[in-house]
Amino acid sequence: MSHCSLLCQFFISEISAGIRLQCTVCHGTARMGNKQTIFTSQQLDAYQDCTYFTRKEILRLFHRYRDLAPQLVPLDYTNEPDVRLPYELIGSMPELKDNPFRQRIAEVFSEDGQGNMTLDDFLDMFSVMSEMAPRDLKAYYAFKIYDFNNDDFICKSDLEKTLNKLTRNELTEDEVRMVCEKVIDEADLDNDGRLSLEDFQHMILRAPDFLSTFHIRI
Amino acid sequence: MELREFNDVVHPPPDYPSPDVSQHSLRLRTVAAPAPAQQSSGVQFDWASPPPEDAEDSSETRNLRELPLHMSLKRAVRQVQQMRVPVVSSSWNIKHSQTFRRFCEVAKNILSYFVLWKRGIQRIGGHFGGGVQSYFLFLRFLVILNFLSSLLIAAFVLIPSIVFRSLNFNSTSNITIVNTTGLETCMQYDPKPDALMVFFNYFLDLVSGTGFMEYSYLFYGYYNNTMIESDGFSYNIPLAYLLTAAFYFLFCFFCIIIRMGGTARVVVETGAGAAGGYCMLVFTGWDHGLQGDRAVKLKQNNVRYRLQVDLEEERLKKKAASLTLGQTVSLYALRIFLNLIVLTLIVATFFGIAKATQFSQSMKTTGFTGLLLQYLPSMVITASNFVVPLLCDKIALLEKYSPSTTVILALLRAVFLRLVSLGVLLYTLWEQITCKGEIGSDDCKLCGYYYNQYKCWETRVGQEMYKLTLFDFLITVATLILVEFPRRIVVDHCSCKLSQLVGRQEFLVAPNVLALVYSQTVVWTGALFCPLLPFINTLKFVIFYYCKKITLFQNCQPATRNFRSTTSNFFFLLVLLFGWMLASVVLLYSVAKIHPSYGCGPFRLDPTMWDAVPQAVNMLSTTSRAFLFYIGSQKCSIPLFIFSCILLCYVSALTSVHGKSVALLKSQCALEQRDKQFLIRQIEELNATMQKAEHEPKLLNTENEPFQHTAATQWNQHNNYAFDPDEDPRPY
Repeated sequence: MSHCSLLCQFFISEISAGIRLQCTVCHGTARMGNKQTIFTSQQLDAYQDCTYFTRKEILRLFHRYRDLAPQLVPLDYTNEPDVRLPYELIGSMPELKDNPFRQRIAEVFSEDGQGNMTLDDFLDMFSVMSEMAPRDLKAYYAFKIYDFNNDDFICKSDLEKTLNKLTRNELTEDEVRMVCEKVIDEADLDNDGRLSLEDFQHMILRAPDFLSTFHIRI
Repeated sequence: MELREFNDVVHPPPDYPSPDVSQHSLRLRTVAAPAPAQQSSGVQFDWASPPPEDAEDSSETRNLRELPLHMSLKRAVRQVQQMRVPVVSSSWNIKHSQTFRRFCEVAKNILSYFVLWKRGIQRIGGHFGGGVQSYFLFLRFLVILNFLSSLLIAAFVLIPSIVFRSLNFNSTSNITIVNTTGLETCMQYDPKPDALMVFFNYFLDLVSGTGFMEYSYLFYGYYNNTMIESDGFSYNIPLAYLLTAAFYFLFCFFCIIIRMGGTARVVVETGAGAAGGYCMLVFTGWDHGLQGDRAVKLKQNNVRYRLQVDLEEERLKKKAASLTLGQTVSLYALRIFLNLIVLTLIVATFFGIAKATQFSQSMKTTGFTGLLLQYLPSMVITASNFVVPLLCDKIALLEKYSPSTTVILALLRAVFLRLVSLGVLLYTLWEQITCKGEIGSDDCKLCGYYYNQYKCWETRVGQEMYKLTLFDFLITVATLILVEFPRRIVVDHCSCKLSQLVGRQEFLVAPNVLALVYSQTVVWTGALFCPLLPFINTLKFVIFYYCKKITLFQNCQPATRNFRSTTSNFFFLLVLLFGWMLASVVLLYSVAKIHPSYGCGPFRLDPTMWDAVPQAVNMLSTTSRAFLFYIGSQKCSIPLFIFSCILLCYVSALTSVHGKSVALLKSQCALEQRDKQFLIRQIEELNATMQKAEHEPKLLNTENEPFQHTAATQWNQHNNYAFDPDEDPRPY
């Protein structure tokens, strides 16, 4: 096992106990115990502390990430390779592909702001969108997602874009304008004509369904 | 890490750190490097500050997860936290708490395997949204409630009865000696079936609860009026029966209240979600868990529909406010008239139910017609529960209420219809059993109840509830097979106009939930008389779950109109509570007022069912008796009552104070922003006039002397905010 783990990348990625593996390069066989060699134990601990996932879920998500582009993502993350999947692959996941906000979600959670995600970003995204994340954290990221021009305020143009995505451009101009006015009327506490993070968080506090709708199941 | 600082610097919200900073500096994993590089990011945490002395490791980790930063930054923070490894003496404590935390997480993971139907309900929520999911969550709650109640009843009533009956223990009959002379007619009760039975009769008996089913553990009449005593072990079956029924009711009550408490908290703290309807819709209306192109399109249509409905409601409100007096009067007259029609319909239904019950109770035909007659009340109730809400919906279209009011009104009418029709059935039964309440009348004088027709009236009531439950189950399954599947087949394969009009079935949550509430109320009412009914209901609801899930995925389309799940959850639990109250009225009345049957059951020689308790209390020792009497006396209960009233007043005062302070803080927020804008404007004006003042002296030197002092007057005028700076400062 030890001589293959660094050179050979064609292991079957089974993590359960007692599986006999055969390396297709050198044809050596080994019994795989409960250990998995994708991450070091410290890495898994770090991921466990930084996200709301258990070890098993982290490994499952890693395999989901890898399935998007098996040739780009190595099976061995112990050296922290710098692999970044382009947005097109992320946006084609079944959980995201029909979501009208998928581009904004990917942009918000990616480090480069363009939607190209590393494994860290991927885990982060699904951790925040999981059911265990608290309301404040979700509200913060929801604010970022709806802030299309990244100016830390949700202004009228951001609202219009949100509405168009929500209704697939089927509302009339008049209706869009009226709804935007009403939203700003209701939520703008400090009367500056746009929503700041506090306004948004204050409004979310009063939303009973927010936790269940801002949730992606994976 | 100083997390208080983090909370303070959330405003202004942070920018994302630039990519090169995050990649390079953090890979070096130094403590000092990130600090200057992160000056650009708004989230500044103090890398160098020492942690508070009593920082718990678990709370630090929890807060680490809640940081809204990129993963790489969070890992760096974690690295820093770990490098600040504390003093040796407390490391054992920290390791201990760490292992404890891991253990808790593993335990939670394992326990989640035991949650019933978790994956299935999640899938339903993913495809059909929160409204439909709330129905299935409610169903799961009822299944678990019924299952636990049936365990309770089995443990204390059923199994002891089976054991003692089969072992033929030495049993002593009831303690009090009652003069039973002259009451022999009352004690005649012989429901034992014939030894040989045609299969058809077997099936009839199974379905109507008569014959071999009547004299079995299913119904009240089979249980014995005995107290088992052997070797110092005694078990008072009548007392067990009564107290189990009482505890069953209390258990259900507490479960409902606890669940309501959870929902109510959300409703109260979010202000019932009514305020801010547009914001809620725009920002929380989209369900990110939806998958599938069709579901997404439907959701988009749904959101658009709701927005348009809300705008329409605004318009209607404006129109309603601008109606002339004549139009308002005519509208209200129309509404009153239509409400009267609805009321008439409902009263007619009640009358029909009462007549059907009287008719079916008095007829004694056997065979298939006898079966139909026995099921007549159930059929009338189910038919009315189907037809009357339909008619009410059509009438509601004419009433021209706003859409949300229409929905609430329809729900209220349906609830009223369902619960009160059950009440009417029970009232009719009571009338028959107790000769309309007059115990002194001819039929009821001898035994205290109408013994000619009701040799064992508790079993008869139990049979009625059993039939209601069974009929409800049969109708639901039949509707599924005979209505919903064919409808889908017709709509999918036939492209005629009718199928376009009718469309695929929509899973309407409210009528389905009300059907569940109705079934559960029937079970509660019948539990005293038919101890196995909760168990039957558990099986029924489990089958319902699978049937409804199948029909949902095969036949239904997601609802086009939305369903506010949280406030409605609270409403449905409230309706369930009303059903519970109805059933508890029946229980209390039967236990305390009506004379138990002489011929059957565990209370056969007592004047009322309640008498088993005083008899048992009399058998206790003097001190326990004195204690129980003290608790029940006025000396104890009145102070307790006063104390709970005081507690209630305190809590409500606290709530109102909090509400007022929230309103105050909100207005303070708005005021502060206005102050800020005012000050900014003043600064701009000051800057503008200062700049003018810089240019002015150069101009002044070339102009006439009378303006020499204008600089001073201008400066004076800067201080005097009463002057409008746009006005010409020169007074002449």
